[in-house]
Amino acid sequence: MADLNAVEIRNVSKIFGFGEFAFAAVNDTSVAIRQNEFFTLLGPSGCGKTTLLRLIAGFEFPTSGEILLNGENIAAMPPFKRPVNTVFQSYALFPHMTVAENIGFGLQMLGRPKAEIQARVAEMLKLVRMEELRGRRTSQISGGQQQRVALARALAPQPKVLLLDEPLSALDYKLRKDMQIELKRLQAETGITFIFVTHDQEEALTMSDRVAVMSAGRILQVGSPREIYDAPTDRFVADFIGETNFLKGRVVSTENGIAEVDTGVAGHIAAALPTGFSPDGEVTVVLRPEHAMLCPPDAMGECQMTGTLENVVYFGTDTHYHVVLSDGVTPFTLREQNKPMQAARFAQGDRVGISVEANAARVLRN
Amino acid sequence: MARQFSVRRQTGFTAIAMMCFFALYLPIAVLVVYAFNAGTSLNTWEGFSLQWFVKAFENQQVIEASIRSLQIAVVAALVATAAATMAALATTRTEPYRGLTLKYAFINQPLMIPEIVTAVALLIFFSRIKVWTGYSGLGYLIAAHTAFCIPFAYLPIRARLENMDLTLERAAADLYATPWKTFRYVTLPLLWPGILAGLMLAFVISLDDVVITEFVKSAGQDTLPTYMLGQLRRAITPEMNAISTLFLLLSICIVTVFFFVNKKRI
Repeated sequence: MADLNAVEIRNVSKIFGFGEFAFAAVNDTSVAIRQNEFFTLLGPSGCGKTTLLRLIAGFEFPTSGEILLNGENIAAMPPFKRPVNTVFQSYALFPHMTVAENIGFGLQMLGRPKAEIQARVAEMLKLVRMEELRGRRTSQISGGQQQRVALARALAPQPKVLLLDEPLSALDYKLRKDMQIELKRLQAETGITFIFVTHDQEEALTMSDRVAVMSAGRILQVGSPREIYDAPTDRFVADFIGETNFLKGRVVSTENGIAEVDTGVAGHIAAALPTGFSPDGEVTVVLRPEHAMLCPPDAMGECQMTGTLENVVYFGTDTHYHVVLSDGVTPFTLREQNKPMQAARFAQGDRVGISVEANAARVLRN
Repeated sequence: MARQFSVRRQTGFTAIAMMCFFALYLPIAVLVVYAFNAGTSLNTWEGFSLQWFVKAFENQQVIEASIRSLQIAVVAALVATAAATMAALATTRTEPYRGLTLKYAFINQPLMIPEIVTAVALLIFFSRIKVWTGYSGLGYLIAAHTAFCIPFAYLPIRARLENMDLTLERAAADLYATPWKTFRYVTLPLLWPGILAGLMLAFVISLDDVVITEFVKSAGQDTLPTYMLGQLRRAITPEMNAISTLFLLLSICIVTVFFFVNKKRI
């Protein structure tokens, strides 16, 4: 049992509409989600992440493909027979029931004895720290509290997998931060597999064991947050997660998985190659803004590249510098952490030199 | 700061509003007042008396017509509301499809067709059935009332369903509720105010009907409104006012009960 994947999506497609209006919300996608994993589906709106979640929940049925839950194909099973529960974006709490009744609903529908339901509801209320509000109507509690009730309601029947559909998007920034930590704690305490859908890359990076980045109905890359951020294999992934500089260039030589790329305006850059990829000719090199820095004005000659400062944006923790390289067209962004009581070092219109950290650049597969 | 446009501040707003209220309620007020007239006149006040109410309660025809009206209204409202609830569920708990608008039109048909046309059609249709079956009881009136009550019951139920988030039913299904249990524990409790509104509306509409009843009824099947209509052909006394006042009281009671029942929920 332990070596079985919690959820396995095999070549699943979901096509809405017919004929010329047919639209593949999920397009021949396969992915395996491990036991006890915090797995995130990340992508822009309309990428198919919510449809994929609804296919697992049973609110939609796949046009083709298999959905395995602990090895059993559940693709055609109605939602009320699937041992998975959902936390909805809108929470969908039952307005005619109290907090406790909402949490106990799943167990009640399963026909569990009253004593067991009561004990479990009490346990859940404690888990989400809502004991004192058990008798309230759901319309009488705040958004953050509704969120907790929705979580407790979905966790109460001890599902094999918990599905979360952008559950934090309605909360304000501070509350969202608290709930992120809360969710991680709940996942660790319950040991249940979480499948989390979000369009917020920060949420995905901070909470997940693994992330799947989706676009146009397909999963482009699956990996740990570190892999996704540090080693994006796809231009869309590199662009969607964090900020990235893209530099076009030509491979000059390759050695031990490192290519020397002539990017023209930005000089020769040593960039890591994705495994099993040996390009010749045109490639794109990606470089994160925090892996580049401005040279001291007196050392301009030794810099990787030079350009004109277009814009300086102060962020508190760091400052973003938007530069146009010396060819006059290629944009380049870099980010430096701010030091205590530091005055602004550069101003708009300054000519600046940029140096790059070693091992920071990567070649994209496409 | 520019003041927001408000229709209430326009010249003549209060005057027009008052005129509308007078036009609506003054005749009714006069009717109620003369129900308590001691004399037989409808426009000359001769002192306070409850005699016309006593007369109405002693009038066997009035009692019978009232009971018949209530029988028809209760059965017709219940059956119509049940049918309307099913129709509303079928037309809202589904993805929109071609032909759905046509179905709305069919369900609301009695609202569009002139009542007199329906009445004549039913008269001819039922007279044929009466010949075939030999049955001439209240069933015809009940069937006719049920039919024209359905759209009135349907409208508030459908409005309630359209405001109800489909995600709630999805959440119930997600929490192991079968379709029947979802209906029983989530849809129905939330729909209840709509159903109650539909029931009240159907009841009042049935109680009030003259045209179709007049055409469909057999001899000796007067309802309260058709009985009153019949009385108009003779010398009219404040007894009519008394009956009307009681009728008014009943409908005020229904509306009040409904208001409080609805307020208690959510």
